[in-house]
Amino acid sequence: MRQQDNHLSDSELILWADGELGGRRAAQVRGHLDACWGCRARMQELERTIGRLVRARAAALGERIGPAAGPGALLRARLSAEMAAAAPSRGVVWRSAPALGALVSVALAILIFYVGSVSADGPRPKNNLTPGETRRVTLGEVCGGSEVETVRDVPLETRRLVLAEYGVSAAQPNAYEIDYLITPDLGGADSIRNLWPQPYSARWNARVKDRLETRLHQLVCEGKVDLATAQHDISTDWIGAYRKYVGANAPR
Amino acid sequence: MAHSLESAIGITAARTGARGPSHLEDEVVSLYGQFRNPLLRYLLSLRVPVEDGEEIAQEVFLLLFRHLRQGKSRANLRGWIFRVGHNLALKNRARRMRQPEGMEAPRDGYADPAPDPEACAAGNQRQARLLSVVRALSEHDQYCLSLRAEGLRYREIAEVLGIALGSVANSLARSLARLSRADGGT
Repeated sequence: MRQQDNHLSDSELILWADGELGGRRAAQVRGHLDACWGCRARMQELERTIGRLVRARAAALGERIGPAAGPGALLRARLSAEMAAAAPSRGVVWRSAPALGALVSVALAILIFYVGSVSADGPRPKNNLTPGETRRVTLGEVCGGSEVETVRDVPLETRRLVLAEYGVSAAQPNAYEIDYLITPDLGGADSIRNLWPQPYSARWNARVKDRLETRLHQLVCEGKVDLATAQHDISTDWIGAYRKYVGANAPR
Repeated sequence: MAHSLESAIGITAARTGARGPSHLEDEVVSLYGQFRNPLLRYLLSLRVPVEDGEEIAQEVFLLLFRHLRQGKSRANLRGWIFRVGHNLALKNRARRMRQPEGMEAPRDGYADPAPDPEACAAGNQRQARLLSVVRALSEHDQYCLSLRAEGLRYREIAEVLGIALGSVANSLARSLARLSRADGGT
């Protein structure tokens, strides 16, 4: 950092260039730059570096991003499907708005077209091995953090034990994630009785379950579903819970 | 304050008191059009594979749809979008780290330039050098720099990362000083 001989520091120069200084200090910096060639030269160096960095990022990242049309259509389809699923009475909606059925069908067709075909359903957790254990938490603890689930690593030894319990052979473990049945963000315990091997390739895979977990967390924190019900539903039949709370029948 | 920030950052979606679901759908799709590319670039810089980045972007805007449908705060939606995207990206990365060795190891966020004849040009070498300096920054500094490069103001960056405003300023000054040195400055 340069702050010798009453020159401006890099931090001040950058704050000024980014428009982050208050009016009086911004005017002082402007006045100093008018008078000081050294600081102006430094400002130009920083701006040149920023320009090169922007171009470097665009070259390295921009070309990996495809056109937005397909993903945009997929998002619209998902939003339409979600609105249809969230309608207060499906029967009434289908009768009063027959076009909605066609819309949802088209939406799901777009979704399936975009993501490709789905593989078979994956195995469900076994109740005798993975009943789903909880830890003692308050609603404040559950709802006090981020909107998105925090992540905890499963130790390697525990991973081996879970795979062995489920009879997954040594040749297959790469195909599975060791997942919490009741997510820690809903009070799930860090216990082997709350862990099961979830296939990566299945239709009802870990990513789909993530969506349910996010949704349940949201509903619990809004007071629409109590925590015990959420824990019960996700641990007894998480796919049924997905259909109940997320409302879509064709997850990717 | 929220309105002035939204106009300052260019959020152009309609803002009315009574919005029907279809209007909300249009609004979220419009916001997706505005922010999908900046968000994807940010996700890629966090070493999220591009296919996962697309899925995360979808998830972010589905969550945004629910957020707005429940009448929750509209203050600083750009910050909200990047904050949720950031959290989902970290979750994605942790999931990949948990996968057994040999399966889809996280890629570097900044792909090497394609091996074309221009790769030897001085400009490309300079770009590669700058990106190598970025890669050597702490993760925290990389987050700040990437968010600033996508146009977020300091206050938004602080909100996305859950840090103090002064930490953002220090981080950016530290990173740009290092980049400037690598770029031939002092």
